[in-house]
Amino acid sequence: MKAFLHHLAYDFKSVLRERSKLLMYYLFPLAVFLLMAGLMTAVNPFFKETMVPGMILFAVMSATLLTLPGALVGGRESGVLRSYRVNGVPAGSLLAIPSVGALVHMAVVSVIIAVVGVGVFGAAAPGRPAGFVAAWLLSYAAYAGLGALMGAAAPNQNASTLLAQLVYLPSILLGGLMMPASVLPEGMRRVALLTPASHAMNLFASWGGMAGAGGPWASAAVLAGSAALSFGLAGWIFQWDPRAQTPNRRSWAALLAVVPYAAAAVLGV
Amino acid sequence: MLVERNDVRYKDGMGETMVSVRDFRKRYGNLEAVKGIGFEVARGEVFALLGPNGAGKTSTLECLEGLRAPDGGELRVAGIDPSRHPRKLWDAIGVQLQASALPPSMTVDEAMGLFCRYHGKAPRPDLVDRMGLSRKRGEQFARLSTGLQRRLSLALAVAHDPAVLFLDEPTAGLDVPSRAELHALIGELRRAGTTVILATHDMAEAEKLADRAAILLAGSIAATGTPKQLTASGRQRTRISVASERGLLLSTDPGFPDAERREASEGYVLYYSSNPASTVAAILTWLEKAGDPLADLRVERPSLEERFLEITGAKG
Repeated sequence: MKAFLHHLAYDFKSVLRERSKLLMYYLFPLAVFLLMAGLMTAVNPFFKETMVPGMILFAVMSATLLTLPGALVGGRESGVLRSYRVNGVPAGSLLAIPSVGALVHMAVVSVIIAVVGVGVFGAAAPGRPAGFVAAWLLSYAAYAGLGALMGAAAPNQNASTLLAQLVYLPSILLGGLMMPASVLPEGMRRVALLTPASHAMNLFASWGGMAGAGGPWASAAVLAGSAALSFGLAGWIFQWDPRAQTPNRRSWAALLAVVPYAAAAVLGV
Repeated sequence: MLVERNDVRYKDGMGETMVSVRDFRKRYGNLEAVKGIGFEVARGEVFALLGPNGAGKTSTLECLEGLRAPDGGELRVAGIDPSRHPRKLWDAIGVQLQASALPPSMTVDEAMGLFCRYHGKAPRPDLVDRMGLSRKRGEQFARLSTGLQRRLSLALAVAHDPAVLFLDEPTAGLDVPSRAELHALIGELRRAGTTVILATHDMAEAEKLADRAAILLAGSIAATGTPKQLTASGRQRTRISVASERGLLLSTDPGFPDAERREASEGYVLYYSSNPASTVAAILTWLEKAGDPLADLRVERPSLEERFLEITGAKG
């Protein structure tokens, strides 16, 4: 446990030391938040309703999808994971520690977005803060699981970037971050259920006591199922050595992570 | 007595076996990288694995280190089967990989603290000082020179007092003082009973440090023994370099016994002898009779590098 905590403390500090992580965890999401809050409130009347959960989710996606997978793949390619392995670092620690470390940073960013969004830009505040935090934790777990899975499955940095964009862009466009999902056409609403963001936004609205909520339990089940499945698959697929040396046939199993979202889209829940 | 076969046991009288390799095989697809080799290494012994690129050194090391699974044979390191109990193994061994790699922003002290804690041991700041890193404790790994990165990786490999230490090209990228410090450290570890498996391309290093060495070639052990046994078993002859004040030997070849006159350079005449004692005696007698006082005489046995080139050249 001491080793895990020591490792976690280093991982937390590494975000503040490494420019690329600092950029993706703090500077990029907060800059986009300020830009969107300044511009979108003038042109999109719905944005004040979705600003706080939407921009928090944007920050979470930037950290978990655009940063976590690349760090894991980079560590594997550069031989850092091998150094860890021969010193007895468990694979579970390498999957869990970046996710837990990023959770703390994302909590800080989320508080900044909530306070500034409500206080400065007149965004809608969560009616039930405790429920909002619960929705945040479940949403974070789902995205962190996907990030860990992408890092475990991607053969190289380019592939991890591509995989991340496959979730990141549809989440932003269809997930209800900029406007409520209810304004989407019926057909697109079904497609939007394939994104974790649509379930996360629904949960923020429902548990957080905000406008436009649907039934929360299906979304909660999808996100919880996704988190458990993603972390489980990441642990099964995880590999220490570069793929150039040892191809990983288990990588294809990562596609199973789509199952909870596909089921939601088919059932329309 | 030099043994030239694929099953090599250490010489009688040495201690407990710490590394045992029997009929070890490793394949990559259709390529048979290691073809049923065997050797044993005793406690406190330094054993060098030598060979050209692709000979099977790294495959052997990685299977012993628990990083890869063997395709055949039996491996034991400190009594542990590496492929069945890797976590137990990693507390018993220290590994310096060929490429030093740590997270770029991890400092020297953080790395020492982290790895020692994963081994359940207290950090070893004394080793950081010993490896000349005392002024770099707060420095991030990416900002260390290649030599300092190698020193740190060695300090991390020995920090938990492993019973068996694997060193893969340990002095690559090190300057002369660091190399000397590393050699001194290996000597201390050896005296303290640590078994060292050393893979290197530096034959002088192997000759200096190793109690025994095995030369791998195309997945098989081509030769093994102590460095002296290895060099003595070759076809190479002893080199005798002679310089005299009047330089008469530069223009004359008296024909000394058991020797072949090869070349003359920088005032020296070189002879290659199969019986250096008789050749040297004959040279000294001839110079005295000729009234040409000896200026310098050097007798050099073939080096491990020459023997290595002889083996790899003949069989490669």
